[in-house]
Amino acid sequence: MDKSKYVIIGGGAAGVAAAEAIRQIDQNGSLTIVSDEKHALYSRVMLSKPNFFLGKIPFDQVYLKGDDWYRENRINFLGGQTASSVDGVNKIISLTTGEKLPYEKLLLAIGVRARTLNVPGADKSGVHYLRTLEDGKKIMADLKTGKTAVVVGGGFISFEMADLLKLAGLDTTIILREAYFWEPILDEASGLMIENSITKNGLKIIKQAEIAEINGADSVTGVTLKNGRQLSSDLVLCGIGVINQVDWLKSAGLAVNKGILANEYLETNLPAVWVAGDIAEYKDVLLAENVQMGNWVNAREQGRIAGLNMASDQKHQFKFVSFYTTQGLGLTIAFVGDVAPGRDRLIVPRGAPALNSYARLIIVGRELVGATLINRTAELTTIAKLIENNVDVSDHHAALADPDFNLKKLLT
Amino acid sequence: MANQKEYLRNRADSKIGKIVVDRDLCIGAASCIAVSGETYNLDNENKAVVLDPNAADDATLLMSAQSCPTKAIWLFDKSGKQIFPK
Repeated sequence: MDKSKYVIIGGGAAGVAAAEAIRQIDQNGSLTIVSDEKHALYSRVMLSKPNFFLGKIPFDQVYLKGDDWYRENRINFLGGQTASSVDGVNKIISLTTGEKLPYEKLLLAIGVRARTLNVPGADKSGVHYLRTLEDGKKIMADLKTGKTAVVVGGGFISFEMADLLKLAGLDTTIILREAYFWEPILDEASGLMIENSITKNGLKIIKQAEIAEINGADSVTGVTLKNGRQLSSDLVLCGIGVINQVDWLKSAGLAVNKGILANEYLETNLPAVWVAGDIAEYKDVLLAENVQMGNWVNAREQGRIAGLNMASDQKHQFKFVSFYTTQGLGLTIAFVGDVAPGRDRLIVPRGAPALNSYARLIIVGRELVGATLINRTAELTTIAKLIENNVDVSDHHAALADPDFNLKKLLT
Repeated sequence: MANQKEYLRNRADSKIGKIVVDRDLCIGAASCIAVSGETYNLDNENKAVVLDPNAADDATLLMSAQSCPTKAIWLFDKSGKQIFPK
């Protein structure tokens, strides 16, 4: 293949945002996107939304770019193609087809994969994960005939699936390995708020339980838990986390930890190779630590910054407070900044579960680093600003804990 | 779908006359806020609302609408013609 000035591996939110940013600066430099999915950019976050799943939103609304966009922007889109290795010295990508793709500048926006259930029977039809559009289509088809469902996991995929399955009218049980929902990102009080709304809506939860086996011939008929209990089920939906696939990049000399390591300019240790999106384990200048953030806004913003850095002589620093939100079953939930538990974090509670409005403000030293918000999403932007501006909140813990105190006052 | 909220814009240097947020489509991903926190906020229903329709320039507004993962933000020119999504 002809050499491309810019090669982007990954056709999701980060890869496409990078292409947009490159085209703002360099309209004509050759640009190739390699994506192992054949589709033009689609909305990965819409895949788990009930309105989309239940057909209240036309299916095609999931596509965010049409073929015309790639054509108009002179982007060579290699859909359905998988990169198998990177030669960082000679600057050549190999595809699984054996073809070679030389590059001048490379962006790795390869994303992460859904973790799969590793138990006997997990390969039966009716066991689902939700990462790609193809995954979504399979679940949509099974929902039409299914009467009962088991959801595995206690994070945002299973929360959104629970809402969806309830609306679709399936008799649903959620299996959690943890002691409460969303452990350990949330505290037990927040987790119980979510569990209450799940059970109030007629869904069942079994905690501290794991699947031992998926039952059935070719298709799922139920699950057996490790304690021997059996549940019948027409489908099994798993939201049990993600895995980073970085081993294939190690031979290129790329520095990896869990994800691909990068500095605050999203540069990797290899010359002319950047990283963006879920797979990036980057130096966060606001938190002064290496983090990996898997959400839409982070992918878009990192793609944009990496694209600018690839196409211009100026270096743009990635400095951004990331956030994501979800809603369902009468709750809105938002995570802002760094919500990872542990170390020397001080948590200031704001509001209370009994008031059905409860936030946890996470403080390290004198500053906020993150927050979890239940039914308080209107405070998301103010909290993000407090984090971004490194506001010293050490004298304001009482105010932070007062749910009626206007947080904007701390910004001035 | 009728659950749309309109925000009129009257900046002299702008071609955009109206911002519309479709509250049925909006999922509160907040990518619009990431692009322009001066223009948007989330309400307690986790839907995007426009705080100040005149805060951002046209390029920024267009970027905010393009960043939306559900195409819930629509932009119209001053004659009422839809600019985005096309």
